[in-house]
Amino acid sequence: MSDTSPAIISLTDKAFGALAAGRPSAETIRTLRRAQLSKHLLLLREIARAAPRAAYAELAAAERADPAGVRRLLSDPLFGAWAADCLAALRRGEPADVDHLAILAAAAASGSPNEAAGPGSGTPETREPTTAAGHRLQARHDGLAIDVRLEDADPLRARLGLTPCAPLSAREIAHWRELFAEAWRLLVSHHRADAAILAAVLEVIVPVEPDPASRGISATSAHAFGAVAMSLPADATALAVGVLHETQHSLLNAVQDLFTLHKEPNILGYSPWRDDPRPVSGILHGAYAYLAVTRFWRTEARAFGFGGDPGAPRPVDSGLAAFEFARWRAAVAAAARGLLEDGTLTAAGTRFVTALLDEVRPWLGEAVTGETVRLAEGANTDHYLRWRLRNLAVDAAAVRDLADRWRRGAAPPSAAVRSRLVPAPRRGFESSARLDLAHAQIRHHSSERHKRAPIPQPDHPATVSALTHPDGHAHPPRPAHTQPAVPTRPTARKRGDAAGVRPRDDRPGGRASAGDLAYLRGDYGTAVDAYQKMILNGAGDDAAWAGIALVGGWDEIEVLAAVHRALKTPDVDITVLAQWISS
Amino acid sequence: MPVDEGSPTEKQQPEWRSAMIDVAELSLTDLTSETHDDAFATSLRRLADQVTRPAEPIAGFNSAL
Repeated sequence: MSDTSPAIISLTDKAFGALAAGRPSAETIRTLRRAQLSKHLLLLREIARAAPRAAYAELAAAERADPAGVRRLLSDPLFGAWAADCLAALRRGEPADVDHLAILAAAAASGSPNEAAGPGSGTPETREPTTAAGHRLQARHDGLAIDVRLEDADPLRARLGLTPCAPLSAREIAHWRELFAEAWRLLVSHHRADAAILAAVLEVIVPVEPDPASRGISATSAHAFGAVAMSLPADATALAVGVLHETQHSLLNAVQDLFTLHKEPNILGYSPWRDDPRPVSGILHGAYAYLAVTRFWRTEARAFGFGGDPGAPRPVDSGLAAFEFARWRAAVAAAARGLLEDGTLTAAGTRFVTALLDEVRPWLGEAVTGETVRLAEGANTDHYLRWRLRNLAVDAAAVRDLADRWRRGAAPPSAAVRSRLVPAPRRGFESSARLDLAHAQIRHHSSERHKRAPIPQPDHPATVSALTHPDGHAHPPRPAHTQPAVPTRPTARKRGDAAGVRPRDDRPGGRASAGDLAYLRGDYGTAVDAYQKMILNGAGDDAAWAGIALVGGWDEIEVLAAVHRALKTPDVDITVLAQWISS
Repeated sequence: MPVDEGSPTEKQQPEWRSAMIDVAELSLTDLTSETHDDAFATSLRRLADQVTRPAEPIAGFNSAL
């Protein structure tokens, strides 16, 4: 027995800063892995103390015979998910799956990790037959290799939070392997440093059922470092971006196991990545995950047309890469700034978010075509406006007062009306016809450019517009505010027009409204008229209200919509009403 | 002395000390002995708080593609 006290796990400030910037060293990842194993062992200790079982002694005996084999079992991400759930249930006095220890002990004794995924896992009602403990996704390109388990059988896989697929067919496994190999080529060819991090962190992919409301879904459990649950990606690029994104969540979860980053982690606010209000800890997760996504698209946008590995797969197109880069750099920076300004971060949290912002800040000044910036920042603004409509409520008395003053021809009240956070009853996934159209238009324009001329270089003076904001964007995106009450005096954003942008001729999905098409071609006057017509005809939903605010330059759209509804007068000119409220 | 929020030390090479102890080398037998109860206390309190706190999976990445 060791008499020395275990050491404290620590990171140098330099390592901590690099980790926050999404560039952890191999040594830092090894430290995080040791911390995760320590976490698993401590959880196991507490389970053994709370619910003593002979299986623990059997596991200890197996460890004496094969220490490395048992450590592999206890290091597994799904073991972490089980241990956390089991201890939580024991602490709450609920039924706990302690008997899984016996399966582990049997697997350890047999020397076959595959048996750890045996039929004893889960409650008796949820047990299912196990055919195998995962298939391997192995890839090697240009000297860099990755080896991941595609886990479609272990009952513990359901603990990652999404509905797992049934065991895959041979054809489905082959398809996953093809996508994975192609994604790995892309990552190693263009994103080698990120690929190395991925290879060191990612251990398990759990295929899950797709969500009909989204294009692709993935998740990470706070207690399963290195495991990702994801639906079958549309293509290799989506897989590459998806695993980069989820790996960041794993890294941040590991950081949060070590350090408290938030003084008040549960304060809710706006997140650019979700339609529901998120706690500040979730906002940081979004920013950290999208830091890697932004870096991916930045590299893709720069690499396109610049040679490199001629055999490497290309992204969908350079225009889309630039759009994604422009959109997410602004969102990540805004979220990081909001977190720093909120005053809810600890010293470690402040250090972490400052390093994150330092990483993305230089990207804000990088040139992207003006039209791409308009659509990218428009997408961010659109999301924020729809979030406001969905999650902010205006005091009913204030709405009645405004409506009454309007009817009497009086001036609006001098004090700003405040909205309060009333989260929508259920989470929604981002689904926006306007965003779909923007993507389609960008692809279309990119395709046309490729037909006409050589691919424009990102820094070609004839194809870029200077960005006007000191940090690099024409209209600063809104901060990820966390105030429960929001000032509602409509603030006028500059109403812009983008000249010379031709509308698309086709309408993807047949869902394009006249307002959306006018917005896309930069004809904001026509767009306002079209959205207003939709609203006055009773066909206006949140998308139409967000659309009119987007082109009209109004932020507090929930106030305008509430007053308009209270007036019950269909012929009210919404633009005049908006100007009156903000006067 | 570790603190939950991490603490930068005054060393020449500043470092952030976590609340987690490194037990990766301890055997399962050693792990349950009472010798380390005091050393484990801070880490265990933190872990217990983490696992019992209501949480949701970090989910929802929706590929732009």
